[in-house]
Amino acid sequence: MRRLLIAVLFAASAAVAPSAQDADLRSTASAASMAGVMTPPLSPRNANYTITARLDPATRTITGSETIRWRNITARPAADLQFHLYWNGWKNTRSTFMRERALSGGNDDRRRRPDEWANIDVTAITVAGSDRTGTRRFITPDDENPNDETVMSVPLVQPIEPGGSVTIEVAWTAHVPRTFARTGAIGNFFFIAQWFPKLGVLQEDGWNCHQFHAGTEFFSDYGVYDVSLTVPAGWPLGATGVERERRDDAGGTTTHRYYQEDVHDFAWTTSPDYLVKTARFEHPRLPPVEMRLLLQREHASQAERHFDATRTTLKYYGEWYGAYPYGHITIVDPAFQSGAGGMEYPTLFTAGTRWLAPDGVTTPEGVTVHEAGHQFWYGMVGNNEFEDAWMDEGFNTFSTARAVAQVYEPNYLALRYFGGFVPWVFRDIALSRETEGNRLAGYRRDAKSDAQSTPTYRYFPSTGGSITYNKTALWLNTMERWLGWPTLQRALSTHFEAWKFKHPKPNDFAVIVNQVSGQDLGWYFDQVYRSSNVFDYGVQDLKSERDGEQYRASVVVRRYGEAIFPVDVLVTFASGERVTEHWDGKDRWKLYAYDRPSPVVSAQVDPNRVLLLDLDYTNNSRTLAPQGRSAATTWSMTWMLWLQDCLLSWAALA
Amino acid sequence: MSPLAAWIDGARRVVRAPAILMGVWALTLIVSVPLAFALRAMLAQHLGASLAADTAASGVNYDWMQEFAEQASGLGTTFKPTIIGFGAVLDNASALLDAAPRPAVIVGAASVYIVLWIFMAGGIIDRYARDRPTRAFGFFAGAGEFFFRFLRLALVQWLVYAVLFGALHPWLFDTLYPRITHEMSVERTAFLVRVGMYLVFGAMLAASTMIFDYAKVRAVVEDRRSMIGAIGAAAAFIRRNAGAAIALFLLNFASFIAALAIYGLIARGSGRSALLMWLGVGAGQLYVLARLWIKLTFWASETALFQGRLGHAGYVVRAAPTWPDSPAADAI
Repeated sequence: MRRLLIAVLFAASAAVAPSAQDADLRSTASAASMAGVMTPPLSPRNANYTITARLDPATRTITGSETIRWRNITARPAADLQFHLYWNGWKNTRSTFMRERALSGGNDDRRRRPDEWANIDVTAITVAGSDRTGTRRFITPDDENPNDETVMSVPLVQPIEPGGSVTIEVAWTAHVPRTFARTGAIGNFFFIAQWFPKLGVLQEDGWNCHQFHAGTEFFSDYGVYDVSLTVPAGWPLGATGVERERRDDAGGTTTHRYYQEDVHDFAWTTSPDYLVKTARFEHPRLPPVEMRLLLQREHASQAERHFDATRTTLKYYGEWYGAYPYGHITIVDPAFQSGAGGMEYPTLFTAGTRWLAPDGVTTPEGVTVHEAGHQFWYGMVGNNEFEDAWMDEGFNTFSTARAVAQVYEPNYLALRYFGGFVPWVFRDIALSRETEGNRLAGYRRDAKSDAQSTPTYRYFPSTGGSITYNKTALWLNTMERWLGWPTLQRALSTHFEAWKFKHPKPNDFAVIVNQVSGQDLGWYFDQVYRSSNVFDYGVQDLKSERDGEQYRASVVVRRYGEAIFPVDVLVTFASGERVTEHWDGKDRWKLYAYDRPSPVVSAQVDPNRVLLLDLDYTNNSRTLAPQGRSAATTWSMTWMLWLQDCLLSWAALA
Repeated sequence: MSPLAAWIDGARRVVRAPAILMGVWALTLIVSVPLAFALRAMLAQHLGASLAADTAASGVNYDWMQEFAEQASGLGTTFKPTIIGFGAVLDNASALLDAAPRPAVIVGAASVYIVLWIFMAGGIIDRYARDRPTRAFGFFAGAGEFFFRFLRLALVQWLVYAVLFGALHPWLFDTLYPRITHEMSVERTAFLVRVGMYLVFGAMLAASTMIFDYAKVRAVVEDRRSMIGAIGAAAAFIRRNAGAAIALFLLNFASFIAALAIYGLIARGSGRSALLMWLGVGAGQLYVLARLWIKLTFWASETALFQGRLGHAGYVVRAAPTWPDSPAADAI
């Protein structure tokens, strides 16, 4: 049955659904979607939030109340309700988030003033009209840390049966921190995310409601969000969804009401310093999207760069995977030092740029494409980011690199000097999609740190990103180079179509890839997903000896790493003859011998660099006419200039 | 004598003593070449017989550079893209102003280089102060005569720099800057604050350097033995001629900025062929020569200003050293 379903989805995605729709229907649907209404419903909508909240910028306090209408869509009764209280992860240094963050290093949180920490305090909770405030308690399903208060359990008087619904009323107050994990305030800039008491996801094996971890993000059910936010009058506000109503209140405040259906989170931002700009995305086969940009004034000249990068994402992700259905998107350019940049939320994301942003460098384009891309991988395909973060971050890193390569090449390396303020562009170094876009250097450093199949929240905090983002992008790009883009594109779009507005697991993707490719790729996933083994193939030896009229050549290729992948071996002779061998890559080494009228010149394993996960590509080739000394001389002389300048800089003080 | 006249006179004195310029360039090579050879061996070993060397020999092979960096240690850790073209200049200037740490081997080389400069300083200033050839024996006699005096001066100098880099810099950039910019949400404003702090720190460095430069000049011209006295005399001279001394410093600094700007225009990258890379190396050595010329002009022009303000251009208290005749010549 599942195979049949996938085949149907595969056919549907191959046909590129939007092109088959009637233009009028699309236009009507787009108008509704631009108002936050999705007809017909795209998701189960089993967790619906109506929220009212007020921000006091002076005290950096949020006072809120919410009504949650939750439906049990599993086959098991719910005996309790479990809520995320993420902001308690930033309450003190004893939370699980802060303990893990300390392992990462680089954050001196001891310098924080007392008012720069956060908390969220549930002051009242009623379930189906019954006051359950006194029964709430903190639980620690992941690590038994008694000081962690990021998950709250509320036992129920009556279990909620499968298919049953309940209304929950919650009141809370929260203190906005100096930014942690992209959430918080600096000056008059506020970015507010993961900010309300939020239900976990009830699954067949119970609640999936992890504590807040330093290296992972979030997971929640889809629903309808109707949120009224009161902020100082005159402060532009951006949020998930569409503004339906704006009301000036007494006391110099304004209440903004935002509404969105079929999303799984709600974030918002406000600041008196925002410039607000708008533009529109249009495409012959994809629904139009209104783009709203909240921009820092010092970045006013970069508005079009933000819009262009967002258009790039909507176009390419839309063509490759499926249409963006919401009809609107909000791009937030966060304030300097806010730490809020580069994060995704439904229909809204934070980009990130610098005051000095030279052309030819993908700032802000890279981060804009990436975070806009999360609307697809995270927003629409809602995998569990606590456990399988690679399914959105990795897919999206791969897709970002691919999209950037379509539009923004050459894309040069830039380094920053003088406290990180002054960029210098190295126009000799055009960054390649395959290595830089997929972040090979970071993966090389951390390749063995964790097996990807380990739940993401248990990755070592400082190296987990390399496994989540980099490794996935590299193995997806390896698949593209090996199976071809059409096959991988069909696999990804089929997966997208099958799992949008749902919660896929890793095996769901593997099943689809096998189905679409027509191959059992379990062996590949065993190595790239279930193992921390690394790939490293190389040429161990290359010889060519004269034997009468012939030359006897031998090439020894070796598998230095534990992981296995079939590779080509290219042997080139002085006559220009090129022989390509296909090695299954399983044995530790293999000998290729030749008798030819001309000597061998070079041998290369994986000459087309299909296997992007190979950690050492320098050892993949060997030549009998080496240029190593020549290159080393030139580069050591170049380096000597740096050294001489360094000496002169210090000698200026002598 | 006006600051401009002193600068022109100083530049002329440097040009008229090309052996000194070539000597300090040779000194720079002597310190840097062995380390370059050491790095060359590391690079050659890593490249081996790989085809990666083919692209690295005629341009940037960034993938290989990153693979090398991943396994590098010590000296090898400094082999990064920042060494390419004008990036090298920015990297070093930024590292100086941001007090960024360098690997021990680089610190060691810089220390040796500075000690060699301290040794040469007496001979160099003596040559410029006399404004006539002193020949090698005269040069080294001056160098030897003042080496231990300048070592004593260097102790004071290093103490001052230790305070500047060990106390003032951390206070400015690790305490005051974060405090001022803590709630600052506009990058441009934060940058201006940082520039302000660079100016404060740079002014303190410049003031210290200027005092120690004039201390050296007065020690040589007036044959001073007390370095504390020389520092006091230097400070007194600068105080009495503050406008001229500062203007002269700024003229020299402007020539330094001009050299950087010109190099920045011609050294955009490493070149995309072996020939261009070697031309880049050649242009780099011209830049090094320009930097050395500017450093020497600092001293020569300060000497000229000091002598000009006292009205004895070319006068040095200490008698010009004479090459001793051999006993055989005496007998004749």
